[in-house]
Amino acid sequence: MASTDTTDDILKARQAYNETLTAAQDKRRATWFPLLLLALLAALPALQFAGNYNYLLHLVLYTLCYVVMASGWNILGGYAGYISLGHNVFFAVGGYFAGMMFARLGISTIILAPLAGLVAGLLGYMIGLITLRVRGPSFIISSLALVMIVRIGFENWHFVGGAAGVSLPANGLPVQWAKLPYYYAFLVMAAVALWASYRIRHSKFGLGLRAISKDEVKAESAGIDTRFYKVLAFAISAFFVGMAGAVWGEYLTYIRPNIFLVILISVNMVLMCILGGKGTVAGPALGAVLIVAFNEFFVATLGASAINILATGLIMALALMFFPLGIVGTLARHRKLPRFLNWD
Amino acid sequence: MAAIIQIVVLGLALGGVYALMGSGLSLIFGVMRIVNLAHPALIMSGAYVAYWGFRLWGLDPFVMLPVAMVILAATGVLLYKLVFEREAKSARYSEMTVLLTFAVAMVLEGALATAFTNTQRVTSPGYATDAFFIGSVFIPKGQLYAGITSLVIIGLLALFLKFSRFGYAIRATTQNREAAELLGVNVNLVGLVSFAIGVALAGAAGSLVSFVFSFFPSKHWEWIAVLMSLVVLGGMGSILGTVVAAYLLSVVAAFVGFFFGATWSTLTFYLALFVVLLVRPQGLFGEKPELA
Repeated sequence: MASTDTTDDILKARQAYNETLTAAQDKRRATWFPLLLLALLAALPALQFAGNYNYLLHLVLYTLCYVVMASGWNILGGYAGYISLGHNVFFAVGGYFAGMMFARLGISTIILAPLAGLVAGLLGYMIGLITLRVRGPSFIISSLALVMIVRIGFENWHFVGGAAGVSLPANGLPVQWAKLPYYYAFLVMAAVALWASYRIRHSKFGLGLRAISKDEVKAESAGIDTRFYKVLAFAISAFFVGMAGAVWGEYLTYIRPNIFLVILISVNMVLMCILGGKGTVAGPALGAVLIVAFNEFFVATLGASAINILATGLIMALALMFFPLGIVGTLARHRKLPRFLNWD
Repeated sequence: MAAIIQIVVLGLALGGVYALMGSGLSLIFGVMRIVNLAHPALIMSGAYVAYWGFRLWGLDPFVMLPVAMVILAATGVLLYKLVFEREAKSARYSEMTVLLTFAVAMVLEGALATAFTNTQRVTSPGYATDAFFIGSVFIPKGQLYAGITSLVIIGLLALFLKFSRFGYAIRATTQNREAAELLGVNVNLVGLVSFAIGVALAGAAGSLVSFVFSFFPSKHWEWIAVLMSLVVLGGMGSILGTVVAAYLLSVVAAFVGFFFGATWSTLTFYLALFVVLLVRPQGLFGEKPELA
């Protein structure tokens, strides 16, 4: 029987089997949910006709910004398993690049965002070539050192204003509409980031990254160009973080080292992915929503950033100890993941 | 020439303090394979113990040093029992623990900042601002005393590791955990004790730091990379390496600070960390990098 099979037959049978698997997975997925969410968020600013919802818009915008960043971080930290505590470097690079162009040439950062992302991605590629030679704790430490170096660099670079930074002109829109351009920019970026995350997860590239995170030596011996894969993952994740940084600077109307290069920002990225479930598509988004809500709750009720740091650390420790797979990962393992959260 | 001697002297005086700050980190990494990012935050806690001892009761930081060591050793035992003991069994252990210690560092920072605010503090016993003069070269008394005390403490640690039975067990566990366990070493107890010793060293370092540097809770982030650079350059887990690296980098940083300004002297440590990780991840005295 087997002797009459040709290679083509075997390949065809395998392909058919794979298609049944995909179909089965498609059935468990609820594509309508993210689309509905997108539509709702796109319609949300209409609330401004009814009253002043600037605070709500700010919160959603802030969350979307973190969705972009956490999804970007997830490509390196979640899929490839390389935990970086220094991704706010790219947030700063994107922010400074676009911010300076905006200050000097008057080009809106929303238009510049993809370019700023590319600059950050290129820098990420070059840094990745160096730092991705080490693995595990050494990589984490090198990423921390990177933040320190870049921070000292920006604080002493007079062209970009040193520690005082540069202030950017605010847009001239009336106050209830002033946030809208940024709001939609972040909404589009978040959608693109999640879509890219999904596509990468389902590509050969994403499979390679996940193989690297499981066992790099075996991945290499299976023929994966691990070095190129890792560095490319680093560049893509830096791209998204840099893009978010570009618009964030104009939204705040100033760029300054201590808004980009604070440790809490990179911790937030890491924490969102871990809490939501690193290596999943929905995890970073879910984590972003939870952490922003949580931060806001703490700052609003207790009013002290010191307590916020304490609580963030506590959540991180508890999540690492008891839910290392995160919410999405843990639910999926127990086969209890609700369909609307299955974006993988 | 006098200027150069002066710079070297200042560098060496600080080197001892850095060495003590790093040695606890190195010990913990050697035995437990934990990269303890919370170490600087623990040093900060020790500094606050000394600070409040001085502020409230006028006790000299050198008197508070043993107190800080005891308080922090207890903290270390608590941390180990609560957090690290259960983690020791999990897969991807070393990576998870880096993040965990990072979280612990945040908790400590938040707790210190909540309790004592982010005001800059420094303990100011009389000798902290005094100096000896040898010809035209001056030696700050505070840094000299702190450096000598650090060397004494590190020396005691080395003697303990070298000649006591328990120290022998610690060294065996550092070299090969499984083999040590097979030969009847209670590795869990060794882990607990060396973690406690490491954290106690952080307490000692903290009381010395309290009058050498000014400090505030969120400053520990700057120390993380500084201490990591010592431990990585020395070779992770090698206490001798940490001490050598501390003196080396401290002197280099003093030179950089003299020629380019104080901002860039801290950059020495960060760049050194970066370069060493990439060029020679095992450092000066480290063995082959099993996790790099």
